[in-house]
Amino acid sequence: MSFTRRDFLIGSAALAAGTTVTAPFLLPSYHSDQRPKRSRVAILHAQQYSQQLDQILTAGLRLFPIDVRGKTVLLKPNLVDYIPGNAINTHPLLVLAAAESFRRLGAKSVLVAEGPGHQRDTQLLLSQSGYERVLREEKIRFVDLNRDQLIRTPLRASYTGMKDLWLPRTVLEADFLVSMPKIKTHHWSGVTLSMKNMFGVVPGARYGWPKNILHWKGIQESILDLCATVPAHFVIADGIVAMEGNGPLNGTPRRFGKIVLADDPVAADTTCVRLMGLNPGRLVHVREGAKFIGNTAASLIDQIGESVVVPDAPFQVVPEFHNLL
Amino acid sequence: MPTVTTDPIVLSTLLAELAQRQLPCGGWAALASSSQPAIEPTCYSALVLGSAPVGDIERAQDFLLRTQNPNGSWPVFPGDDQEGGWVTSLAIMSLDDLVTAIPARLKGLHWLMNCVGREGNWFWKWKFRTADRHVRFDPSKYGWPWFPETISWVVPTAFSILALNQLPCSCGGLEKVPFRVERGVEMLLDRACPDGGWNAGNGVVYGTALAPHPDDTAIALLALTDRGQHPIVQNGVQYLERLAPALTAPWSLSWAILALAAHRQPIARLRSSLVALPDLVSIEDTSTLALVCLALDHRRALSAFGVAP
Repeated sequence: MSFTRRDFLIGSAALAAGTTVTAPFLLPSYHSDQRPKRSRVAILHAQQYSQQLDQILTAGLRLFPIDVRGKTVLLKPNLVDYIPGNAINTHPLLVLAAAESFRRLGAKSVLVAEGPGHQRDTQLLLSQSGYERVLREEKIRFVDLNRDQLIRTPLRASYTGMKDLWLPRTVLEADFLVSMPKIKTHHWSGVTLSMKNMFGVVPGARYGWPKNILHWKGIQESILDLCATVPAHFVIADGIVAMEGNGPLNGTPRRFGKIVLADDPVAADTTCVRLMGLNPGRLVHVREGAKFIGNTAASLIDQIGESVVVPDAPFQVVPEFHNLL
Repeated sequence: MPTVTTDPIVLSTLLAELAQRQLPCGGWAALASSSQPAIEPTCYSALVLGSAPVGDIERAQDFLLRTQNPNGSWPVFPGDDQEGGWVTSLAIMSLDDLVTAIPARLKGLHWLMNCVGREGNWFWKWKFRTADRHVRFDPSKYGWPWFPETISWVVPTAFSILALNQLPCSCGGLEKVPFRVERGVEMLLDRACPDGGWNAGNGVVYGTALAPHPDDTAIALLALTDRGQHPIVQNGVQYLERLAPALTAPWSLSWAILALAAHRQPIARLRSSLVALPDLVSIEDTSTLALVCLALDHRRALSAFGVAP
């Protein structure tokens, strides 16, 4: 086997990765400052998944000056894999409630789209996770982003060094993109929230299952490049039952009773991380995203609904992310 | 409309639908609603239509030959970057019965031989042994990645083994095929889930055993047909036997039928379950539609994959 200079450089970076995932300062590498002047975040209380979620959500959405009339709304849940009893995926009843709410607000059409990261059989996953029945009964279209038509898309940040990605036409053509993460800890990235959720728009057919190239290019860096290029217009984070510990698949479900809405993914993730009892300033993609994607400063975020209450016991994280505590 | 329930009637209906989805360029798109041809659905469709009296297999094969990259690999779709990817092994198998495609297949096989999961490099072996041990695997056992510059995964490794097992001749430069196939087989055996079957890659991450996926397991078992006595292979077969009767997703059920048939397990009831699934002809995903056809014609499908039960 040969050992090239490139191997050495990549290897050195990778060796360092274990200790630097939450610590390093990345060189600013974005093309434009997309931050809104102010951001708005609402924390809603919801104790369980029920048919009443649409009322809670509709009331929550009315707290924001959003106008989806005549627009195509794309709901992007976090649908990764299915393990009975584990709180892995955004709950289908919350997605259904979001669809009904946006229809009620005048959306021309609402569709659900996702490219599962681990499971190649998307239909099996839809069936196991309860999505298939909900989507069928409510006549909500689903698009498998792993196999959608692809368009070469220049990246609007270059933290990974990649110049472009092939991205699904459905995502690029949507008028209003809603990131709907499950609030979880993650053993490679610390947490997985609305920003990390955008990994799901990267097509498996082009990049594999999982989208391994993003791991090799750097998870934090890939999150930043993706969020700069495919900005979510809105966030609805599922924290009714969240996950802590060894997420994103094998962590422990945690009853959390919260839904977080926001018009800025960086502000949404900052709030979620605080609610989890963790330090958002130590998450590279959140800290770096605050330079050009969205806001983290409390003075720039209008907090509505419930206030941020730090839990008595913070979310458990794997040892590599104890610095988030 | 009469209800279609028998295998031949269902198969002929699905074949007609598959033929109808063939694009003017000769290829097939991943989704029925798309017009962007892609290699994976084209390969499964070409395997199905190889001996079927419908569709235009010649145009499909011509499409595959036209889209091969200069380096011998195949792109995921025409217009993609030209470094190639995991569909190369599928394209090689899809051109198996075409004598004039032998040079193209040989170029593809050479590319496969040069494509190595990153852990095949000594430096990364060392890293995975010393500094990065959260994912439990033996990096000396490597296979093929989805795309160059990444690590080995189960599905691309299994397809590559199947393709390399179909060498058209003993040609120069391919003497190391048995060595690579053996490393790939070792890799599959190394990364099985502790309770049987395969996930996408490793069986254990952060000390937790991962749950197997039926399709990943079935594709791995196809590549391990000649290792049927190995306990890990038997565990995988038993997992699939337990799970398959409950499957209602046509993609996974079809792969399960092919794998269990390859390992000489009864499949009649599974075929009945597959035929009874609603709206097969409306399946949006063309690869799944083609795979259902392959499962309903499993003997010829296994032959196309170079697998003899």
